[in-house]
Amino acid sequence: MTIEKTQELVLNMGPQHPSMHGVFRMVVHLEGETVTKIEPKLGYLHRGMEKLAESRTYSQFIPYTDRLDYLASPHNNWAYVQTVEKLMGVEIPERAEYLRVIFGELARIASHQVMIASTALDMAGWSAWSYAFRDRERILDMYEMTAGSRLTVNIMRIGGLSAEPPAEFWPALKSFLDDTPEMLEEYYGIFLGNEIAQGRLKNIGILSKELAENLSITGPVLRASGVNFDVRKAEPYSIYDRFDFNVPVRTGCDSFDRTMIRMDEIVESIKIIKQAIRDIPEGPIMAKVPKVIKPPVGEVYHRVENPKGELGFYIVSDGTTKPSRVRIRPGTFINIQMLPIVALGWKIQDVVAIFATLDAVLGEVDK
Amino acid sequence: MENKQLRQHVEELASRVNGEVEESLGALILKVKAPYIVETLTGAKSFPDAPCDFLHDLCGLDLVDHLEVVYQLSSLRGPQCLRVKAIVERENPVIDSVTRIWQGANFLEREAYDMFGIKFKGHPNLKRIYMWDDFEGYPLRKDYVTEPIEERNIMRQRIDGE
Repeated sequence: MTIEKTQELVLNMGPQHPSMHGVFRMVVHLEGETVTKIEPKLGYLHRGMEKLAESRTYSQFIPYTDRLDYLASPHNNWAYVQTVEKLMGVEIPERAEYLRVIFGELARIASHQVMIASTALDMAGWSAWSYAFRDRERILDMYEMTAGSRLTVNIMRIGGLSAEPPAEFWPALKSFLDDTPEMLEEYYGIFLGNEIAQGRLKNIGILSKELAENLSITGPVLRASGVNFDVRKAEPYSIYDRFDFNVPVRTGCDSFDRTMIRMDEIVESIKIIKQAIRDIPEGPIMAKVPKVIKPPVGEVYHRVENPKGELGFYIVSDGTTKPSRVRIRPGTFINIQMLPIVALGWKIQDVVAIFATLDAVLGEVDK
Repeated sequence: MENKQLRQHVEELASRVNGEVEESLGALILKVKAPYIVETLTGAKSFPDAPCDFLHDLCGLDLVDHLEVVYQLSSLRGPQCLRVKAIVERENPVIDSVTRIWQGANFLEREAYDMFGIKFKGHPNLKRIYMWDDFEGYPLRKDYVTEPIEERNIMRQRIDGE
């Protein structure tokens, strides 16, 4: 029996597929093993965050932002409270700013570790996955000491922070920072330096600079396509203008550089945390903020550099205690648009790797 | 940030498209009517010296008597940023799609359509993105009723054999 022509096969990947990060489904059209078309389908998780915000007060909405990008919750809190502070014109104490930077950068490291781990896992690299998760535990322990929770860490408040880290936090942080060079070496040794990983990532899923800009892509994915843009440098928020750090840029535009850029960013985050520990002053961690938050009439768009890309909050206030509109601009939701374009013409197993390098967190996609 | 040059460009553009320039908390806002949106955004994309050529965000806004589409523009090569607001009628919310200018507007316009019912003319695939296809109503509009689940269960009519 001879087969004259391969028939087109329509395959549903996800939402239960092990390589799909969360409840995401894509309809993949295949010619043999080659992808001819991809349609991403979202909406399984949609919780209506933006609608909920309209019926909550400004402070009540803070815990909801934890659930956006749940692998880097301090960062999401931070973005939201900063937007409200900008709207109200609140100055927060120095010590709170430094602590926020420390927690924010720890969240970035933890989030990038998950990205490296899950990319490895999608290529069946179990050891690399367990190594990265083992190291991430130490950051979660530090969260637990301060906030009491490990995943949805909710310590940012409008005007500062809710809790001062306990005495055992600082030695734990120091020993973590001391171990980081070895940690990165291990990731490289077991995963990225591996010939199989390099073969499956290098020169695959090219996202050109022009396409990335046209698709509004931000964050590490944009920087791996050779664009030097980081909100922390371009529009310094908080106290980022006081730290000395570089913005890692790679020009490979492929899956490999999208993974390696996370490694580079961990190095820079460690640099920032070290400087923050050196300079942190004593003092209060909470500014004097009225009990009932009532910003003046106005609107503000504020953006921060999240591990997944740019997170923007656009808040419209009508002068009452509840926001009139809260718009969340998530990084992954927009970055995911590259998938149907970039993965075209590659094999189905490459799609898994390309999707992994996007570092999608579906809490942020479906809001 | 104060950027006199950008302000001058925005005012020139505003006079061309019958727009109004406002300022809120240090950010420049250009308000135009829906039919001028493509002209406005192409103009903003090609400002000399300070182009606002990166689309950060696009979202809908319900102001009870009319709807608005808000575009957050900035640049990857400079500090300039601009917010463009297009006024859309509530009864017949139609506006031109900007997917030809930025491909990145694709999902964002679908989201605005899903949540506010704003129709983007010329969009390659204007379908609901979050809600299922036969979902009724537009959840983020101010007049959308969100009743508690207990109430909804009572109100909902049971289908025979369900």
